[in-house]
Amino acid sequence: MPGRKVQLATAAMLLVATTVAACGDGQDGGTTASAPKAPATIPELTTDPLTLSFIWFDWPPARALEAFANAEYKKERPNATIKVNTVPNANWHDAMFTQFAARKTDFDIAILDSQHIGEAVTNGNILDITDFVKNNIDVTAYNPYLLAAYGQYPQAETGKRDENASLYGLPLLGDTWTMIYRKDLIGDKPPQTWDEMISVAERCQAEHPGVSGLAFHQANGSDAAAVTYNTVNGVYGGNLWDAKARKIEGVLNDAAGQEAMDVLVNKMKPLTAKGSGNWFIDEVNAAVAQGKACIAFNWIAASGGLLDPLQSTLGATREQILDKLGFATLPSQKTNLVPLGGMGMHVSAYSPTANQAEALNFMRWFERADIQKKWAAAGGVPSRTDALESPEFLNAGPFNQVYADSVPRMRDMWNVPEYARLVDIENTGVNAALNGAKKPKDALDDIARQQQDVLDSSSRKGGGGL
Amino acid sequence: MSDPVPLTTDHPGQLASATPPAPVRSRRLSDRGLAVGFISPALLLLLAMSVFPLLWTLFLSFTDYSATRGGPAHFVGFGNYTAILTSAQVHQRALTTLIYVVGAVTLQTVLGFTIAYLISRRTHGRGVLTTLFLVPMMLSPVVVGLFWRFMLDAQFGVINSMLGSLGLGQVEWLTRQRTALISLIVVDTWQWTPFIMLIALAGLTAIPKYLYEAASIDRASEWFRFRTITLPLVWPLLLIAVLFRAIEAFRLFDLVYILTSGGPGVSTETLSFHVYKVAFLGFNTGTASAYGILMVLVVIVLTQIYLRYLNKLKEG
Repeated sequence: MPGRKVQLATAAMLLVATTVAACGDGQDGGTTASAPKAPATIPELTTDPLTLSFIWFDWPPARALEAFANAEYKKERPNATIKVNTVPNANWHDAMFTQFAARKTDFDIAILDSQHIGEAVTNGNILDITDFVKNNIDVTAYNPYLLAAYGQYPQAETGKRDENASLYGLPLLGDTWTMIYRKDLIGDKPPQTWDEMISVAERCQAEHPGVSGLAFHQANGSDAAAVTYNTVNGVYGGNLWDAKARKIEGVLNDAAGQEAMDVLVNKMKPLTAKGSGNWFIDEVNAAVAQGKACIAFNWIAASGGLLDPLQSTLGATREQILDKLGFATLPSQKTNLVPLGGMGMHVSAYSPTANQAEALNFMRWFERADIQKKWAAAGGVPSRTDALESPEFLNAGPFNQVYADSVPRMRDMWNVPEYARLVDIENTGVNAALNGAKKPKDALDDIARQQQDVLDSSSRKGGGGL
Repeated sequence: MSDPVPLTTDHPGQLASATPPAPVRSRRLSDRGLAVGFISPALLLLLAMSVFPLLWTLFLSFTDYSATRGGPAHFVGFGNYTAILTSAQVHQRALTTLIYVVGAVTLQTVLGFTIAYLISRRTHGRGVLTTLFLVPMMLSPVVVGLFWRFMLDAQFGVINSMLGSLGLGQVEWLTRQRTALISLIVVDTWQWTPFIMLIALAGLTAIPKYLYEAASIDRASEWFRFRTITLPLVWPLLLIAVLFRAIEAFRLFDLVYILTSGGPGVSTETLSFHVYKVAFLGFNTGTASAYGILMVLVVIVLTQIYLRYLNKLKEG
């Protein structure tokens, strides 16, 4: 029946035409390739009730921030309510960037990992706040590298800030790794070098059956195993890449990198608990709290629970726990580098104008000296130098001095738009080596080659992302 | 209140019925128009939710489009398809998926049919037993993944605790290359064996009793009855169940995500998990679209071959 065929053909053509029209040239609603600028001064704020939403992953600092902000910020802005939306750590990047992809976000402030900034900036997802910072923030109050790490793009050199570079965020929570050690098992004095730390852990494990020498992040989700390798890599004098030449192959897997991988897999891994190959923050904390590890490494911001007697078998009170647990900066070896953790606040480019104004006002408020000290007292890790040196911060937790001492030693990973793929390659590669699925040297060579492929793939026609 | 209905029909001479006829339909609304009116909402929904996204995905699969980067979608021809088909990484994930599908579906079929066969022979408590066996299938795969993750934990898990009480050593279920894939197969089998069991049970219940009665009059052995009556009659239904399970297993994502995150390394990364990474870690939407289209094509081709075999079996 020709009439029917014609009808079907017409319908099919209409559908294809609609599809092509809908796709257009692939542009989504006037997207630009660079971040839009925030106003230099804060626009007039609304007096109507307003909810300022954040997005973060689910961990104690997220709950601390919501409680702190609602208690303190409301004193100045009674009409504002702070809501910190949380997602599981493994979904954090996806949760933010899928909303960015839709050009519509249910959050006003994205709490990005320092390495996410490049992706968000090049996609135009967050506001350029350079002018706002110039007018509203005292940048001299910060260690320059902290300000750069949580806001600057392109990425700063380790330890420095490029004052001509644009800023896209301000520090929310500083963080680094702390070494957690059992004073009752290895003594009050923490090991000073990485080699010494390994031999102390070895001895402790041998002397205390049922207690493993070490506990650290090994999982292949998030950035767990990657941060562990990067830490050892830094300590043994390795480099993650040559940022200027955008070169990873031959840099990451040079002699120092190979030595670091060898130390991690052949010296440290045998001192961990059986089946710990998928451990991350919570599992390491659980091992420490249950007295199952002599020495452990974890993020400072996630260590508060270790002092909670309800979560620990090490003592019935905080003091009893502290008699057994010590916190120290990471041991050094060829260098004294430590991993930079923590996150900054970034204003969503798709948030309503009134909420963007409120977000900028919140950030200006949050970076005030008095508020940073209060944040420190509430359990946060501030970034202003005066807050870091304040008794409010240093007395708030036994690991806070560790953070203050670690600030000049910090090194970050790559802050480039390809970060999510680079860290996934490193995570899975290191996890494979730690769990016997690959030989350490092969694993590192594969990581370097695949990461280099990612950096070089921009000119490739098709197949990007494989 | 409706108007009174005239007691007449369209056909003169025919007697009016005592019961009032249905109201006369508008002359403009033909049967065809009515049919179109009824199916069009569902059709539009189908077009909007399935056909349109499929066509869009097809379009994107020939481009280098990225959902987050935005900008123009450059046409790359078959570049994405060639890259996927020649990628060693994709081959590795395909092999992992194949091992998983064959392992899980075989195990589920054998166990599911065995359980169904045993239940079908019972006269008492069949309903209760069937319901109990169906419980795992009713749970969310994420919930199943989470509690199996705890149970399989090398340090604190109940499985290793049981092995320990038997004097056996600890097994690293989720962090070793071989055991991780086996664990995935076991967990999937635990959850989806009831599906095969249910369909097999339906097939077994439908076998006419007189066939068995005739066989017993002929003093046929149990094995002979199973081989010549039970299995041939249940086989086509069982194959359909296998088809459904194979398609489901082929696109496994949730259990991998919860139990192993594809690890150790990438040794339990299935094709679906890899597509997820391509789509949402690097936001390479064009490549991910081509990857998805290829997976759909593989399923369609294999299903067609399978259905032809099934039809031949029926004809035979």
